[in-house]
Amino acid sequence: MQIFLPIADVPVDLFVLLILGAAVGFLSGVFGIGGGFLMTPLLILLGIPAAVAVATEANQIAASSFSGVLAHLKRRAVDFKMGNILVVGGLLGSAVGVEVFRIIKSYGQIELFVSLCYILFLGSIGTLMFLESLSTIQRSRKSENTLKQKKKHNWIHGLPFKTKFKSSNLYISAIPPVIIGFIIGILASIMGVGGGFILIPAMIYILGMPTKVVIGTSLYQIMFITAFTTFMHATQNKTVDLLLALILIVGGVLGAQLGARVTVKLKAEEIRILLAIIVLLVCLKLALDLMMTPNDLFSITYGSGS
Amino acid sequence: MRALIFATIFLFSTSPFSLSSVISDIDKSDIELSTRFDGTSILVFGALSPENDDTSLLVEVVGPSTSVNIRKKVQIWGIWVNKKIAHFQDIPSFYQISISNPEHPILKEIENKKLKSLFYDFLEITSKPEDGNVVEQYYEELTRLKKKLGKLNTFEKRVNIIDKKLFSHRVNLPKKIHPGLYKIKMTLIDQQGIELSKSEQSVKVSKVGVQEFLSYNSKNNPVFYGLFSVIIALFLGFSAAQLFRWLYR
Repeated sequence: MQIFLPIADVPVDLFVLLILGAAVGFLSGVFGIGGGFLMTPLLILLGIPAAVAVATEANQIAASSFSGVLAHLKRRAVDFKMGNILVVGGLLGSAVGVEVFRIIKSYGQIELFVSLCYILFLGSIGTLMFLESLSTIQRSRKSENTLKQKKKHNWIHGLPFKTKFKSSNLYISAIPPVIIGFIIGILASIMGVGGGFILIPAMIYILGMPTKVVIGTSLYQIMFITAFTTFMHATQNKTVDLLLALILIVGGVLGAQLGARVTVKLKAEEIRILLAIIVLLVCLKLALDLMMTPNDLFSITYGSGS
Repeated sequence: MRALIFATIFLFSTSPFSLSSVISDIDKSDIELSTRFDGTSILVFGALSPENDDTSLLVEVVGPSTSVNIRKKVQIWGIWVNKKIAHFQDIPSFYQISISNPEHPILKEIENKKLKSLFYDFLEITSKPEDGNVVEQYYEELTRLKKKLGKLNTFEKRVNIIDKKLFSHRVNLPKKIHPGLYKIKMTLIDQQGIELSKSEQSVKVSKVGVQEFLSYNSKNNPVFYGLFSVIIALFLGFSAAQLFRWLYR
């Protein structure tokens, strides 16, 4: 069923979007990832303008992360103080990111910019994931168990503005969380991702937070940042397509619930390799689109801008 | 309206002066762009009283004005990058011209004159010309791209004339069209292209429902739209959490 998206200004198939939303939602249910880093490039490949894909995906993530954070609130698995400090950095990052986005958009190069960011990003994430799961598989075959997290005294502890984080049982400087939050804010605003796959490792390995509060706290920050990013994109770039967001939210919610409850027959590492391959394929497609000689060198855009 | 047409036909056919004239009507005066809009067509019809057999009828459809940029992909470091090369200020977003007599002697001249006065005269060059006939190239690209998008149609369809007195013509609008006023102009011309009589109709194309609400507010009330989007998303997230908690209790 064809529907016309009001802001993206393109006709799309409703069922294709619902299935796409459900498929990415399913993957996020299985892997516990946000899925924004898959959804945004897939929307672009479907023909939705990059600027709309990014802003709308931020809107979708606001919905899914809020849904997620509610579950973690019940389990008291959110470090509010840490979350709020991350949010402060994130709001700044998001404001900066949206402004950068607006400037690049005014030069008419936003499609290229978003594509390049994704190629870089998906390329490195995909490769890392692929290598890591390969080595995990090899390690598990040798039945070694060396993965142990140590609390290290690193450079983090030398920084000023130290404060106590009760839920995380930490006494560290507020500077690293602000910086991490800032980076996540930038990523959310220029790529339409929640940034969980950077935020979570950063919280564990850089901040040294205990695993039990990591997911809830990251969702807490992501919810605020994506909500703010949605608002900023709506006011600065006018690129939030609420109709598209609604379809993706509905598809995503159903998919995620299924994904979280389905017992997958494959081993975790094997699914991770599968995910890595999907990520690398999307990356490859984006790269090819940029490098291959286009069928038509000329194109039309409307409006007085670029 | 139809009664009026027939009355006029009667009037013209009995008129002793028998000057060439045309009257017209359309089958709809409003087109609603909903989220389900998938293109439509307008039927234009009417009556004419041509002076002699050399008279032809032109039907033109002129859509609302927009500004158009022509972009060209250029290769930089192995990557294809869009470069804005030309800008046309306020040209019709849709244009179709058809004639009853495809063998009209100065058809090409009419086409060129129309394209020039409606499109080519509004070119603003953005990038430096690379060679002498670059302007012609921009014209050609504009025409080619507009035709490819189904937004420009020059003499590809013929206006039907029945018994030298009645005419009908179907105008197809693509699924991606700009809202605004679409003017439909009927002109009787002679072999030299001189205008003998004119008639004009218009169709209002407007967004409706969700389409209109979202695109209007996104443009005109961005703060409200931004907050609305966030609230809707959070509400749906909350509802989903509640719903599944209840389902899997």
